[in-house]
Amino acid sequence: MSRALVIQLARLGDLVQSLPAIMALKARGTRCTIDVLCAVPLASLPALFPGVSQVIAWDGSRWRAWAARWASAPETTMSEIETYLRDLVLLPYDRAYNLNQHPRAVLTASLLAERVIGPGETSPLSQTHPPWAAYLRSVAVRRDENRVHLADAFCGLCGVSPLGTAPLIPPPAVDLPHDLAPIGRDEGPWVAVAVGAGETARCISPAVWREWISCFLRESPTGQVVLVGSGSECESARTIQDGLSSILLNRVWDATGRTDLAQLVAILSRCRWMVGADTGPLHLAAAVGARVMGFYFARARVHETGPYGQGHWVWQAEPTRKFEVRGSRFSEEEKRATCERRTSNMEPWWPIAESVELLLTDSCATIPKGWSLWRSGVDHWGAYFTEAGELSAPGSQRERVWRMLQSAESLMELMP
Amino acid sequence: MSRLEANLSHLASCDPALAAAIRRSGGGVLGIAEARNGMPTATESGRAVHSAYDPWREGTAWAEAQAATWKPGETAVVFGVGLLYHLEALRRCLPKEARVAVVVPDVCVLHDAFNARPLDEWVRQVEWLWGDCEQMAARLVRFGTPLRFFSYAPAARLHAEAYAQVELAIRTQLARETGGQLHVAVVGPIYGGSLPIARYTASALEQLGHRVTMVDHSPHSTSYEAMANLKDARSRMTMQSRFADLLSQLTLARLAEDPPDLVLALAQAPLTLPILQHFRRKKFLTAMWFVENHRHLTYWQQVAGGYDYWFIIQKGTCEEALRRAGAPHVTYLPLAADPSIHRPIELSESEHAEFGADVSFVGAGYANRRAILPRLVDAEWTFKLWGNEWEGATDLAGVLQRQGARIDTETCVKVFNATRINLNLHSFTGDGLDPQGDFVNPRTFELAACAAFQFVDQRSLLPEVFASEEIAAFRHQDDLPAHIRAWLHEPEARTAMAQAARRRVLNEHTYVHRMRSLLAGIGVAQPDRVGAVLRGEREAGYLSARSAFNTELGSLLSQFPARQRVELKDVAARIRARGPGQTLKREELLLLMLDEYRMESRDLV
Repeated sequence: MSRALVIQLARLGDLVQSLPAIMALKARGTRCTIDVLCAVPLASLPALFPGVSQVIAWDGSRWRAWAARWASAPETTMSEIETYLRDLVLLPYDRAYNLNQHPRAVLTASLLAERVIGPGETSPLSQTHPPWAAYLRSVAVRRDENRVHLADAFCGLCGVSPLGTAPLIPPPAVDLPHDLAPIGRDEGPWVAVAVGAGETARCISPAVWREWISCFLRESPTGQVVLVGSGSECESARTIQDGLSSILLNRVWDATGRTDLAQLVAILSRCRWMVGADTGPLHLAAAVGARVMGFYFARARVHETGPYGQGHWVWQAEPTRKFEVRGSRFSEEEKRATCERRTSNMEPWWPIAESVELLLTDSCATIPKGWSLWRSGVDHWGAYFTEAGELSAPGSQRERVWRMLQSAESLMELMP
Repeated sequence: MSRLEANLSHLASCDPALAAAIRRSGGGVLGIAEARNGMPTATESGRAVHSAYDPWREGTAWAEAQAATWKPGETAVVFGVGLLYHLEALRRCLPKEARVAVVVPDVCVLHDAFNARPLDEWVRQVEWLWGDCEQMAARLVRFGTPLRFFSYAPAARLHAEAYAQVELAIRTQLARETGGQLHVAVVGPIYGGSLPIARYTASALEQLGHRVTMVDHSPHSTSYEAMANLKDARSRMTMQSRFADLLSQLTLARLAEDPPDLVLALAQAPLTLPILQHFRRKKFLTAMWFVENHRHLTYWQQVAGGYDYWFIIQKGTCEEALRRAGAPHVTYLPLAADPSIHRPIELSESEHAEFGADVSFVGAGYANRRAILPRLVDAEWTFKLWGNEWEGATDLAGVLQRQGARIDTETCVKVFNATRINLNLHSFTGDGLDPQGDFVNPRTFELAACAAFQFVDQRSLLPEVFASEEIAAFRHQDDLPAHIRAWLHEPEARTAMAQAARRRVLNEHTYVHRMRSLLAGIGVAQPDRVGAVLRGEREAGYLSARSAFNTELGSLLSQFPARQRVELKDVAARIRARGPGQTLKREELLLLMLDEYRMESRDLV
């Protein structure tokens, strides 16, 4: 039986987006054990992924300490690192599937496996990138009309095709804090709200969330809201609650900073919906079977990192340049007003009533200016998103990219 | 056998001379009483040396906190004796192979300790340093290991002066032996008296073989001065403060490009507290040489806690005030001269005519100078006054040279060399001599370095740097004319004194001496960082020798010249330079990985 290691050293969202690749790898090689290497704070999550044998927790803080100490004690430091790596991985893996372009991940892959697949596969110092890695780099730089989802590109990096179905993380058997235990038990709908985001630019302001939650709880007399997020987002959660009317407050549950990852998975699996910006918890919710509605703005693009699976919704803020291209649609005044509202993160810009309507009825009568609405699906080319009102899956661009990169992979393999 | 004798028997096996000295001494320094837990505790002059409740627990807590900062290979040096609870606890906290030394300024205290409580085998596992401060320091330096100092304050205060002397002696002895190449960023002011000192400092560091990044803010002085013309005081202060903030950010950006081992700022350097705190968070060492009068320039109160090390030109109240304001380490470091700039020079006849006089004064028009100098006009000697800011001094208009223009350093040196008696009057905002006059100004050292005779107002710290045979000083302005008259008739005595002063500068008071002392001081306090570099422990030869059992690492290090300082980034750069197609060995992969994490934590901005 061969041993493979999937390396994902990025944040929660990327780790969850790696799940389709892990499942595709497992499906291809049933006699292969697959381990996952990720950062220490996320290490409890891949243990819940179907198909993962073992999780290797990569401790960046120890490496930073060694780097600071090396010059004063080089030999001792190197010897400590060797011991650490031996304790981490006794025997080298047959293959490391590296999903990150950062040199740290490239070096980790070279250190822990006989063969590297993905960035760094020819040599750790190589400036030549495998076709899928080069494609992802070009997408990041050019921000063009890419339709291949990041999770599917991870499949491409690993040399496998998407399975055509969404992955599902089973709910773990964990206890919740006593006061959060009733979540999901009473009548709903239960909606989880991700109050923060990894990047400040992707955060939705507490004022907007307050408005959204008020609207939802007014429209859904039995609805319940669960605020989720890390410890650093407790303050935002408190600010949201401070502005809510006391009548609504008893239907708001604050779980920010109070759960570990397994407990977060448990809470999300008890919710029917998850609403938030393009964040890790949003993708996690999609992976545990909740329906997801995302607000994508700043650098977030629905086609690249939308929620993976069937029937999720994404509100995509139209980029400013689109106003310029489609000048006939908006007057100059409208463009300016919209831009100003965006800059100030003011409520009128956000599709609050529309998104609540969508969540409760699965339909939306009007799409406000400055936004487009997308519904997710999955086929044999991976995840796709169709604009509200369109029926067929847009396959041609994804198919073209897959065929082009697969033939490039074949060419690479033929090269000496 | 008495308790004292039983304890001494342990000590006698490792240091019989000390055991005998303790036996001979009478003790009686400490007052011994019983603590609440039944163990003996001590007081001195009514002040507690150990806890009155549980001295052992207190000593253990202290030792655990100290032991956390100790690093393998270091000698732990304890200041403070008392009843030795803290020392015993530290000995227990540290690994057996760790060297622990205690400095004993007075064996009488040890007599009290050995008499008060039972001590056992651990006494033999401690190096007992006693006797003369210089000897104790020399013994510590001879250990040849990094020294980590731990002060048990309640006991150390009994002999604070002796401990300070030991520290100074260690610094002085280490300063003579230090080598290695540090990267020091010298941050200068926008303008003012500390600007040339910043340049002399940078030059001295380079002469010592260190790499210097000079962050020179003087090009921005024109803009700063333009803001000084704003009439509204609030606007002016706001603009200047914002400008200083901007320059502080600029300093950060400059240093981020090539991070140094030490950021050495001179007084008035535009570094704000938030930026200094940012440096600390990023583990950058910072030091300030405050070459100003702390009573006049008081902004140090806002940044005292921001610098890791303060070096000051005043003692006593200045040291105390800085410590109270939050400065963690404060050390006296007097000014100096740069003999490559301030030196005896041959002058032409025309230069003698232009710059020469019986008596000269070079400097700005402070109040005390305006009050005192007119007494020297219209006397039997020629008198020339050089410098700026003399507007309104009508009684000095006849002697003021170049219409009160600012005088550059080169001209200063010519004036010093061409003058028979150079008057050196420290600035003061009152009418006479500064009654609190303590520090010695740079002019004193500069005149001495030129072998130019000077007559200086007496300062309390002057005798520490020059003897009365080297520099002539006066105590009262009323005596000034009589003294000048007398000295003008003693040309040989003037020359002998000036030559002696120059010798003293060359031997003890150059900026090279000061920088050696400054770095040695920081090196002693930071044995594993600056100290390691100064001891040459970051040089390829040393590192290679220490990597004898790791052949791959040894082979990588041997590619560098033995005396070259090698850091992780250098080794990583050497590996990367081999090109993308190369197969890397495991050691090389590990080094590249370490370097990736180094870059992440050294990212300043």
